Amino acid sequence: MTKEITLEGPPDLRRIYATAALRRGRSGDTLPDVRVSRAGVRVDLDDLVAYSHVCRFPVDGTLPVTYAHLLAFPLQMSVMSDDRFPLPLMGAVHVENRIEVVRPVTTDEVLDVAVRAEGLRPHRRGRQVDLVSEVEVRGELVWRGVSTYLSRGQEHPDATASEPPSQEALESVTAGPLWRLGEGTGREYAAVSGDWNPIHVHALTARPLGFPTAIAHGMYSYARALASLGPRLPEGGLSSRVWFRKPVRLPSTVRLRTAFETRRTLSVLENAKGQVEHAVVENTW
Amino acid sequence: MASKTSPRAPRRVAVLGGNRIPFARAHGTYAKASNQDMLTASIDGLVARYGLAGERLGEVVAGAVLKHSRDFNLTRETVLGTRLDPTTPAYDIQQACGTGLEAAILVANKIALGQIDAGIAGGVDSASDAPIAVNEGLRQTLLAANRARSAADRAKALAGLRPSHLVPAIPENVEPRTGLSMGEHMALTAAQWGITREAQDELAAASHQKLAAAYERGFQDDLVTPYLGVARDNNLRPDSSVEKLAKLKPVFGKGEGATMTAGNSTPLTDGASAVLLASEEWAEEHRLTPLAWFVDAETAAVDYVHGDEGLLMAPAYAVPRLLARNGLSLQDFDYYEIHEAFAATVLTTLKAWEDPDFCKGRLGLDAPLGSIDRSKLNVNGSSLAAGHPFAATGGRIIASLAKQLKEAGGGRGLISICAAGGQGVVAILEA
Repeated sequence: MTKEITLEGPPDLRRIYATAALRRGRSGDTLPDVRVSRAGVRVDLDDLVAYSHVCRFPVDGTLPVTYAHLLAFPLQMSVMSDDRFPLPLMGAVHVENRIEVVRPVTTDEVLDVAVRAEGLRPHRRGRQVDLVSEVEVRGELVWRGVSTYLSRGQEHPDATASEPPSQEALESVTAGPLWRLGEGTGREYAAVSGDWNPIHVHALTARPLGFPTAIAHGMYSYARALASLGPRLPEGGLSSRVWFRKPVRLPSTVRLRTAFETRRTLSVLENAKGQVEHAVVENTW
Repeated sequence: MASKTSPRAPRRVAVLGGNRIPFARAHGTYAKASNQDMLTASIDGLVARYGLAGERLGEVVAGAVLKHSRDFNLTRETVLGTRLDPTTPAYDIQQACGTGLEAAILVANKIALGQIDAGIAGGVDSASDAPIAVNEGLRQTLLAANRARSAADRAKALAGLRPSHLVPAIPENVEPRTGLSMGEHMALTAAQWGITREAQDELAAASHQKLAAAYERGFQDDLVTPYLGVARDNNLRPDSSVEKLAKLKPVFGKGEGATMTAGNSTPLTDGASAVLLASEEWAEEHRLTPLAWFVDAETAAVDYVHGDEGLLMAPAYAVPRLLARNGLSLQDFDYYEIHEAFAATVLTTLKAWEDPDFCKGRLGLDAPLGSIDRSKLNVNGSSLAAGHPFAATGGRIIASLAKQLKEAGGGRGLISICAAGGQGVVAILEA
């Protein structure tokens, strides 16, 4: 039977991170049957505007494609910090994310957010798991997100992994917006998303976790890519998917190249010289 | 040799509709929304209402009075964030409170001349998210340091920094040449014309009651799109009355004769509006029915600097010129939309048109323009109730008047908007 955990407010992420940092050595082969939810969530307009300005979304009265992820993220952390959760939270890498926007959500709608974990499976470099987030408005599913996290560990060379689509369509695309991401980009996004994971905050806090510099939040790069495609994507009925490749080390100058097709866009975010691929984003509708 | 091209005859310009976000009092709900956010919301609402997604329009013209330097290309940047075809050109204009109406004149003229077939005119202002610049002393010091060729010169320039440089430069609501705020200017004019407190409060209360009634009967339903949880202009007080307004203390003017209060003056407001204009052919092709025709417009300015004329009196000069050109009298209108910067502005303008000396001496007319039927004035309320985000007011008025003319089954309306710098923008709509 599913254990239902209902939260009255957003869990305190700093506390989750602090606790997780002290706890290591998770194991086990099964996911706890837990569903963490928050009902009656209202979007804080100041938070929304701050987030939109950082990611360059227009504040047009509807929620940006990625905004519900922000509401679900603390619940994801809460699921992953559960005592019986088989993978350690610290050091988990966001490798892939899918979002379905069933219909646009306006800023004044009251949202029910629920998160559960699914699909614990081997990955070439360890094990991965999907955190499935669903947002409903009075029982109607309006938004669904699937965040795939990798926990590095025992290697599984034979494991099949989801691969981004062929980039053939992008071969002829040479131009696209260039973003100069400053050293403080991670802190800027942390301030509006609440994700103060030390790997994003500063080189000094990222180093103990194996990164030479702070790295940009994957969801920041993804959000900026979607904001930049903005009006070319439909407001509802959108399936969006991102594969996170090499992290964006801060500071960094990156470029987004996009191929536009009928009912599909395919983008790649890479360093300005085009040698390092940071993310691949596909939207279909 | 190819034959010379001949000029085309001007075309009629249709007002097809408008959209705005509800106006909100400054430092409230929209406090953190930028001009670009609000203008995007307003244009996207118009795009949704009239099926313009993916459409390349002739141009989008809009502006903001309080504008950040980073927003130099505000309208074009906004267009790129809307669902309009990104190949739609756009540019910014700024004529203080006349911005919105002037934007419509520019779009309408291009349509009339056949240079474009359809366009959007708009305006936005945020008194909350106002630009704050660095202190002039700091700016000069930094520029000097930037110009310095050597490290020593740079150090020397930076040595000029003073603690006083930390005080930022905040935009002020004053006329640069007189040092008086708009309200103080208006108070002088109101006193000169003997505009009473009672008359101002009556006009203000009526504005609230008429706008509230317009919302009640659903008139605003296809003119306003809710934004950030605000469904109606939040300055609106449906229960406003002369008795309640009479209790307020004057805020402009001095002593016994002070008549202007926060109730009969417009508050600082945030908001945006947009209007869709097009040629008859374009409207037909897109199966859109014109609400009204944008007939003609006139702009005037007065020299207010040394007190020869009141700051907000320019529309009084613009209207007779517009009437003469169109062979109309002031009474040939079914509706009058006189922007309520202050209740006293409307009353002074009307009184001036009734005054034989003013009409002869200032306007050079043989006879006064005369009085208007006050029941035709601002029939759906105006800025005292809705609020007045400077550049957004023109679009609000055009859309509202055009719809009113359509609802009435035809007629003629006059728009009159006063602006800072002693300017006035006026226009005629017909249906």
